[in-house]
Formats: sequence, structure tokens, C-alpha cells
Amino acid sequence: MSVIVNGEIHSLSEPQTLAALLCALAPAPPFAVARNEEFIPRATYEECRLSTGDRIDIVHPTVGG
Amino acid sequence: MEDQLTLYGHSFSSRLILGTARYESPMQLADAIRRANPAMLTVSLRRQLPGKKEAGQAFWNLLRETGKTILPNTAGCHSVHEAVTTACMARELFETNLLKLEVIGDEMNLQPDPFALVDATVELIKLGFQVFPYCTEDWVLCRRLMDAGCEVLMPWAAPIGTGQGPRNPTALQELRKRAPHIPLIVDAGLGIPSHACQVMEWGFDGVLLNTAVSRALDPVRMAGAFAAAVAAGRDAYRAGPMPVQEFAVPSTPDVGRPFTHCVDFIQHSYQAEEKRP
Repeated sequence: MSVIVNGEIHSLSEPQTLAALLCALAPAPPFAVARNEEFIPRATYEECRLSTGDRIDIVHPTVGG
Repeated sequence: MEDQLTLYGHSFSSRLILGTARYESPMQLADAIRRANPAMLTVSLRRQLPGKKEAGQAFWNLLRETGKTILPNTAGCHSVHEAVTTACMARELFETNLLKLEVIGDEMNLQPDPFALVDATVELIKLGFQVFPYCTEDWVLCRRLMDAGCEVLMPWAAPIGTGQGPRNPTALQELRKRAPHIPLIVDAGLGIPSHACQVMEWGFDGVLLNTAVSRALDPVRMAGAFAAAVAAGRDAYRAGPMPVQEFAVPSTPDVGRPFTHCVDFIQHSYQAEEKRP
């Protein structure tokens, strides 16, 4: 299966949770995550099971006006 | 007693909110923050890109070192759904309920979408956010935002990043008169310190700046100039400007003006001459 992470296709060998995906990607903290344009609270990463085609956004602080 | 700006229960001695974008370097940003000594800093969130993972962390550390209150924005959102999701991510990331809500309705002038702005505000206030809506000076829109529960409004002066200054001074001043109690922060479109001073003289409670500082030739110096202008405008408003007069009024007292006796004497002599038989 594959998911899209920040606009890039990412292949997964088996279905997994968001927590496992983040463990593999190791984004630098602090970050926040949305799946299919829905916010996923940090406390629910373990229970968030990914499906093929899911669009994952991992965001971090940046400058803004 | 010190003149404090209170927004959602947070009190500030400064009335300037400073954006953190478009500086040449993090060091220049940090210097500008020190010089402006703003009440709050606006920030945003964007995708973490491969190879630039640490950039967010470095910026986060810079923000924390300033000790300033952080105001995350929803810049670039075009729908209620995008704005709400972005707001939720920002809340978790920056650990604050404060939110500068931007819902853009037009790409050319980055004007707020008033309909989506109100809908997003209603939803976000239900979720416990303290919303700072980036809006226009339209009175009915502002009323809807107040009805939704906003405790501050942020009308634009001109489109974002243009530096044009207040495009519609009459409507802005009318808004101030019709909404005398809610804090009003002029956000977007200011270019030079006199613009900031002007809106503060009209009784606005603060200004939000970014490009006017960061794209100046010397952003650090300009940060200081804006801070001084905001303070001067606020002082002038509190001092109560004089009423404008139609005709000239001499400022120097007329009583005791020299040479007046000459005129009186000459006139008196002529009159005496005329009366002589």
C-alpha cells in the first residue's frame, strides 16, 4: 500500500498506524499532523490506522505575517 | 496607570504586533523583535520538507528566546475546512488558543472571504479558540464577527504587503465610532510609520505589521521607527487632538502686541483733525 506524505508518494510494506509511519519518517519536533485534511491529535497517533491513498500532512513552525 | 492593551484577557504594554516573515536572516528577525518590542509575534505552519527538518526547530527556539506571546495564523487558507484544520494543528504546535484567522477570498488582493470568515469564526470559537479575524472595514461583517463572539477585530488598511496605507480612511474611522469598545487592530497594508501613527490617532488599539518592517532597507531601524510611531499615535489619541477650525486663529496672544498705540494715536489724530472747524 502507499500513502502520500507532504505531497510525495510513500510506500508501506504493510498496513500500519500513523504512529508507526511517524516513527519511520522521524520528523523533527515540534510538528503536527493532518490526515486527509483532518487534524489528528498527537494523543491519537497510535490508534490512527492508515489506508492506501491517505494524504498525510506533517507541518512545523515557520515564519508568518 | 499604564496604558495596557487587553486582548482575550492577555494584557500588553506594546500596541504593535509584528510578523516574522520575509526577513533576510533569523538574526535580523531577532534584532527587529528586540527593537520593536512588540506585544505579540505572528507565526505560521508549513509542511516539513526533507533536508530542512531542523528549520522548524531553529525557528521555534528563536521564538521561545524572545519570550513574546505567539499568534499563529491560518495564512493561505481558502475554505472554512482548511482554516479549521490549520487552526487545530497550530494550537497543538504552538500550545495556544490564540489564532489570527485568515480565510482568503481573492488571489489578486488577498482580500478576506467575509462569508467563510464568519463561518470559520463560529466553528473555531465553539472549539475554544480566541479568534483575531483578519477582516475588511465592512461594518456588517464586523458586526457578524462580534456576534460570533470575537473580542478583537483586525480590519485591513490595504491589501497585504502593498504598503499603501489606509485606502478607505472614512470607513475605518466610521468603524471605530460604531464599535467604540472592542479592540480594533489595523492589520495589513501599512507601509510607513506615519500610516501607523495616523490610525492610532484615529483611536485604533494597535497595528499588525510585517512587510513594512521586513522589506525596509534597514528592517531593524524601521522596527524602531514603527514602535515610536505607534506610541506617538496612541499618546496623541489619549491627549485629545484639537478641533479643526475653518479660519485662522492666532496662536500668539493679541493683548500687549507692540505698535498698536501708534495706530490708535494716528487714527485718533486724523479723527481730531476732521472734527476741527
